[in-house]
Amino acid sequence: MSRFTLLRTVLLGVGAALLIVAPSVLSVVKTRMLTEIAYFALFAVSYNFLFGWAGLLSFGHAAYFGLGAYVTAISLKHMPGLHLLVGMGLGALAGAVGGAIIGFFCVRRKGSYFALLTLAFNQFLWAIAWKWREVTGGDDGIGRFVPRRPVDLGLFYLDLTRIPNKYYFTMAVVVIFLAMGWYLLQTPFGNTIQAVKVNEERAAFLGYNVNRSKLLIFTLAAFYAGIAGSLFALFQDFVATSAIGLGMSTEVLFMAFLGGTGSYFGPILGAAIFVYFTDWVSSITEHWEFFLGVLFIVLVLYFHRGFIGLIPSKVRGVFAAGK
Amino acid sequence: MEVTLSSMVVQGLHGLVYGMLLFLVASGLTLVFGMMDVLNIAHAAFYMLGAYIGSTILVVTGSFWLALVLAPVAVGLLGALVERFFLRKVHVHGHAFELLITFGVFFVVGEVVKWIWGNFPRPVDPPRVLSGSIHWMGITYPVYRFFILGVSMVVLMVLAYVFLRTRVGIAIRAAVSDASMVSALGINVPKLFLGVFSGGTALAGLAGVVAGPFLGTYPGMGLDMMVDTFVVVVVGGFGSLLGAFVASLMIGELQSFGVLFIPRLALVFQFLLMAVVLITRPTGLFGEKV
Repeated sequence: MSRFTLLRTVLLGVGAALLIVAPSVLSVVKTRMLTEIAYFALFAVSYNFLFGWAGLLSFGHAAYFGLGAYVTAISLKHMPGLHLLVGMGLGALAGAVGGAIIGFFCVRRKGSYFALLTLAFNQFLWAIAWKWREVTGGDDGIGRFVPRRPVDLGLFYLDLTRIPNKYYFTMAVVVIFLAMGWYLLQTPFGNTIQAVKVNEERAAFLGYNVNRSKLLIFTLAAFYAGIAGSLFALFQDFVATSAIGLGMSTEVLFMAFLGGTGSYFGPILGAAIFVYFTDWVSSITEHWEFFLGVLFIVLVLYFHRGFIGLIPSKVRGVFAAGK
Repeated sequence: MEVTLSSMVVQGLHGLVYGMLLFLVASGLTLVFGMMDVLNIAHAAFYMLGAYIGSTILVVTGSFWLALVLAPVAVGLLGALVERFFLRKVHVHGHAFELLITFGVFFVVGEVVKWIWGNFPRPVDPPRVLSGSIHWMGITYPVYRFFILGVSMVVLMVLAYVFLRTRVGIAIRAAVSDASMVSALGINVPKLFLGVFSGGTALAGLAGVVAGPFLGTYPGMGLDMMVDTFVVVVVGGFGSLLGAFVASLMIGELQSFGVLFIPRLALVFQFLLMAVVLITRPTGLFGEKV
């Protein structure tokens, strides 16, 4: 494996260098796209904590993404002078708390019941965002809450109204949390989750608290979705009901499955393909969602491993440890 | 709003009509779920498709009754194709993929509807015989809504008859409890599944045609109905037709009176009911299995 380790380090270095120079080489439009891919990648990976690692199929993951986005937006809007990072932290926390509460009801159920409950709770939160106009702005949404002045990040000030700076900030947060998530899943906790996925009954007999493990991974996934949501709010500087709707839950599900749910990195590839695919197809036809749906059905029928499954396993082996 | 006895009766009727319509949709969903253990997410898409196909048949032939018969048949055939070529294919890959494929179908059908009929509501008028209102003891109520009640009642009775009194019904009920045993007894279970799935989607199509002139025919009607039917399944208990019936009526009345007294909470009553049921009786009102 040492040859692989060296290769991996070199490739990671090249990748990091590419991500750093990207905004100076790419157009503003492409930089925006790359930023979008970054927070969607985090969101899709968080989705895969549930499906890929714990075998939990959720149709309502946008609930936590939306909570993160809304709480970030609302706290920054209504508390002038609040530090941006505090606002975003509150958003991520809201995602985690929402996930813990809703997860409590959901994880005790299996299969269809679990899926149905996640969807119903998602729609519940959507209905609140839609009706509670005084706070959420209803279908008008909330806009212009990102500080106009440069943000104090301890070591330096960052002007987040500039696209390249937004890109660097988003990318840094995403890379840090993706790395942390990756390491977390290599721990005994990650192994327990997979044991539960493979054979729940057996895991229970071995003494693992199955429901507690499921609730933990559910909360973690919701926390990550909340971070992605707060990055989304920062990037768009606007949050409306679409951030918490079933459409968003559908998109993250598509991203994860497009890329492949069998590996940690699959959903990242999926987010990139999704953003590019929708951009490309929507420039050709207004019925792009139809083709997206057909692509999804073909994937479910014939390519369970997603696009990452098309990459030869030797190449994947360089990156994928453990899973 | 002034609360009088007659306005209460009218509100109660509203709830009853919506509840029975909800049951009409949920019955097909529950039937398929109870038997095949597949939560057909596309069910509400078939409901929407029924409404749209019905509206086109109405425009072309001018006959609502023809639409009421043909649209469910068309939707049922499509349902059979979905079962035969999609669902059966992924069955071996397990439960999650069955859910995913019905989810994909839900998504694609929704887009097809927008593509063919446009992304806007289509006005559908009830037939002349059923338009107008009934006046009785100071209460005025549209005839069409009584028609919805009638259709749902007929479906309920036909379902009850089929399940309790016919050989096919007995085979279906037996397959619900133990499919492999029924198969060993010489009954063609895959064919039975195909029939139940197709019948369930046809019921959704029928509900769509009936709902068109009442709730409107619009691209979001599938999603709106889907969420309510899911709540019905949770509240009533999985796979229980009786539970679906009781839960449908509860949700219908709750929404109807809820909007009257606490309009701020419209859209969330069904979820509050769902949360209460989940806390107090996690298996649903009539459910046995967890």
